[in-house]
Amino acid sequence: MNAKLKETILNPIFKGNPITVLVLGICSSLAVTVTMKGALVMALSVIVVCGISSLILSLLRNTIPGRVRIIVQLVVVAMMVILVDQILKSFEATYAIDKQLSVYIGLIITNCIVMGRIEAFALGNKPWPSFLDGVANGAGYGMILLIVAFFRELLGSGTLFGVDILNRLGYVPNNLVILPPFALILIGCIVWVQRSIQKDLQEK
Amino acid sequence: MNTNNNLYTVIYTTLIVVVVAALLAFVSQSLKAKQDANEKADTISQMLTASGFGTKAEFQKMGNAAVLARYAEEIGKAYTVNVSGEKVTDLPLDVVYSPKELKRQNYNIKGGSNKTGEPELPVFEFKNGITVVPVYGAGLWGPVWGYIAFEKPVDGSIAIKGAYFDHESETAGLGARIKDDPAFQAEFVGEKPDFNSESIFEIVKGGSPKNADGSEVTDNKIDAISGATMTSNGLADAINTWLGAYVSHFKACSAQTEVPAEEPKGEEE
Repeated sequence: MNAKLKETILNPIFKGNPITVLVLGICSSLAVTVTMKGALVMALSVIVVCGISSLILSLLRNTIPGRVRIIVQLVVVAMMVILVDQILKSFEATYAIDKQLSVYIGLIITNCIVMGRIEAFALGNKPWPSFLDGVANGAGYGMILLIVAFFRELLGSGTLFGVDILNRLGYVPNNLVILPPFALILIGCIVWVQRSIQKDLQEK
Repeated sequence: MNTNNNLYTVIYTTLIVVVVAALLAFVSQSLKAKQDANEKADTISQMLTASGFGTKAEFQKMGNAAVLARYAEEIGKAYTVNVSGEKVTDLPLDVVYSPKELKRQNYNIKGGSNKTGEPELPVFEFKNGITVVPVYGAGLWGPVWGYIAFEKPVDGSIAIKGAYFDHESETAGLGARIKDDPAFQAEFVGEKPDFNSESIFEIVKGGSPKNADGSEVTDNKIDAISGATMTSNGLADAINTWLGAYVSHFKACSAQTEVPAEEPKGEEE
């Protein structure tokens, strides 16, 4: 694998993480991180939507009329989001999670990461790198989601993936952790940690 | 090729929209049966939860087939009544009312231009005597609905056995607590809707006023959810509208039990 492709995959995970560096997709990361299960399904959904829409639009990139390219992107992303939502609704195992995530699956379309990567990367690159870029950005987003959900479910419900961890030790779940503001505080802490490791992000 | 040509742009966008629409229509049609089955099992587990046969989480773990089997085991009879409390038709025992159907009946109860016919309100009676009826109404962001289970009438009054509520898009952590917070649903247990009054059931700040000894003055008021006034009011409205439509049915039910001889006969049917 050449260095450029490696950079495409690794950059969104840490150095150019969509949430902590680009500050995109904050809204949904506050809403869906109450449980690990919800965060995992959301992360996978965004990875699928981001990867496949990037792939499709990269394949079409030379045929898309410049003046309507945003509309074409929107149509493709919307299609992917509806497909994911429909598929989640049809399986017994994911139906309840889809209900729990309710509108946020549909709102993936408003997630700036998806359209941002298509506009910035997929329309100017070959299909394979575009697909990897989409998947990597989805993964970078999903990673932060899972970190936030880990703390929120553990401290807010005393469980992980619904399995009791802290409650049996006499822990009293903290209701503040369940509410969205705590997710913002957690994300702030993650940004803080990242900036102290990666000094070049700090403003002079 | 000049992709900025007007004709090209029009043809291109038309084509892509038609292809996407066809694909989505196909997927939606082919997955519909599975989605309906999931929704039905979900509705049944809500009714079973309201009636105290288990918790929602337990039913979720059981899987659809086990939930349906459990329901088939417990359900005694199902029928629809009109607003005068008269029986309209018997329902097959495997039929439940989806939120979509409840919405239609909600229009029929409320009247107006969306009315499609006279209300046909479902009543589900379990073998152990618990009766479940649905409620449906508008929350803050979208519909709220749910199931209220009633005990057998005692001395002309009917107590709530349990309740379960669901919603489409209420705010997580606030309005969504009507579904997610077992403590809120537990407040309904033991309450007695006042079928003789205008406000059959109330969801208000603080719930019922208390007597000096700590007991509740009225049995038809529960505490609303802080920060979710619109959802609480919407739910109360849904309950009053629907229980209001069932008033004659429940009055007839509680009148019946005062003649003990009739009860065993009713169960044998």
